[in-house]
This record gives sequence, C-alpha cells and structure tokens, in this order.
Amino acid sequence: MTASFPKAQVVVYPGSNCDRDALWALRYVGFDAEFVDIRSHIGSDVNLLVLPGGFSYGDYLRVGAVAAREPISSEIRDFMSRGGLIIGICNGFQILIEMGILPGALLQNSTGKFICKIVDLEVVDNETPFTRYFERGERIHLPIAHGFGRYVKTNGLVNSQDNVVFRYAQDVNGSDELIAGISNENKNVLGLMPHPERAIEKLIGSDDGLRVFLSAFNYIKTSSENMLEKTKVGVA
Amino acid sequence: MQKYRFVVDVQYKSNVRDPRGEMIKRVLNDEYDIPVTSLRLGKSIHLEIEAENEEDAMKLVNKACEKLLVNTVTETYEVRRI
Repeated sequence: MTASFPKAQVVVYPGSNCDRDALWALRYVGFDAEFVDIRSHIGSDVNLLVLPGGFSYGDYLRVGAVAAREPISSEIRDFMSRGGLIIGICNGFQILIEMGILPGALLQNSTGKFICKIVDLEVVDNETPFTRYFERGERIHLPIAHGFGRYVKTNGLVNSQDNVVFRYAQDVNGSDELIAGISNENKNVLGLMPHPERAIEKLIGSDDGLRVFLSAFNYIKTSSENMLEKTKVGVA
Repeated sequence: MQKYRFVVDVQYKSNVRDPRGEMIKRVLNDEYDIPVTSLRLGKSIHLEIEAENEEDAMKLVNKACEKLLVNTVTETYEVRRI
C-alpha cells in the first residue's frame, strides 16, 4: 500500500468552520487527508469524505439548503453509490438531509436557543463503519454546538430503529426519540449533530470522538485487505 | 416576455413545532396581555419572474418552490399573484 492510503477529503463550503478540526482529526488517526473545494472534484482514490460543521452560505433559506444544491453534490452522491464512506457533522449532517441522502429534517432547537456544551450520548448501533470501536449502549461524551439540531422523523424513516446510531442520554434540543445521529440503510453514510472532531484529546474535555475516525480508518484498511486476499485467491 | 410578481408564503406543517412562534406568542400574551391563542412564524418570499404568460410564470414559481424555496418534508406553501 502507498502512503496515501486510506485517503480522506474534507469538503470546504463557503461558511464551513469545522473543516480544520476535521482535517486535524483525520490526520491524527493516520488518514492522508486534504481539503476539497466545492468548485473542485472528489478524488477517485478517496475512501472517506467529511462534510464539516459550520454555517454554509450563512444557512440562508434553511440550514444546509444552498450547500446541498452545489454541483459537487452529484459527485458526493456518486461517491456514496460506489460505497464510499461519508461523515456529515453538524452542518454537514444538515446538508446530507437537504440532499435527501439521509431522511428526516433538522429544525430549530425546541428551546429556541443555540446550545454549546458537552453532552452524554448513547451508542445505539456499533455495527457501522464509524462505530466499530464502541460498545453497543456505551455512554460517550461529545460536544454539541448548534441552533438547528432538533431531529424530526418523517415518513421516509419507517425503520428508524435500524438507522439510529447515536442518541442523547437526556433531552437537549427536542429531537424525536432523542436522536443525535443516523446512518443510511447501507451504513456507509453517517450524519450526526455532535462533533467527534472536537473530541480528540482528553485535555479539551473528551477523546471519545477519536474512535469515530479510528473505526472508519480500520474499516477501510481491513476491507481493502480482504479485497486483496480475495484477489490473491483468485489468481492462485 | 412579461414580468409577473408573486408572493410565496411558507409555513411549517401543523404537526411541526415552531419555537420562534411560541416565543413571540408568549411575549404577546405575557407582556402585552394580548390573547393570541396561536402564532406560527413562517417566511414570505416576494419574487418577480419573466415568462410568456401567467400560467407559465406560475409553473416556474412552483418549480422554484419544489426545487429550493420550500422543504416539502416539513413545510407547506401558497403562491399568490401580486
């Protein structure tokens, strides 16, 4: 394997402000990571995409609405269809929902306030590529910082139980069923309001976010090794 | 080509909670003793559009609503000619 494996890109929208934290977290666990501008293209050798937090296009109209309609969105959809891993954090989660990749809606917190604090979460699904390093039901601590994080289920989310990845331990923003993070059916796309990329070092409150990126890193490594094994068997 | 002006009224669906509306209602009730029993805060978008006729213009406004202006998952809308 070359040094540039696994490779990750952080999509930088006008108004993203967690892009550097995401890049730092990705490099910390060993990804060959770089930014990708929305006017540029997703690399063909990329294994993981991160849609970072922030306020893309000032969140005009609706949170994530304008960013979701950028031309790069079709590349993101293709990447997802090819089985590439995508993490949407906070504004990135809102963008994935506006794109229709993940179901539901994210609306203003029930308190009407912007909430910025470290919260307790429960890991509901530890069988996604992003949560394999957690135990099912484990309590973890991640920071949240959002005004529009109230997750509302919609009819499209029939089997919601299967898709919920993280739940808040207590009600923080009025989300249906305390939902904090969900995945798509294939589990290669994760969207969550809490910020794992801001929880990489115990020094700043928590290092629970590290395992999200470590899980993805090792998922990519092991699945590619399995692929290589299969290829070798095929040759033999 | 003619210009047509419309107003699009966007509201949250009735089953979607609206914290901003609730807050404004509370202030009207508590601070000014105005017996408002329901208040929903939506958006009103005024736009002018070029089209051959009013029917085409209306179609384009509806397209704008479905494609971008309205999240039909949580919102409803009404279009009026002004």
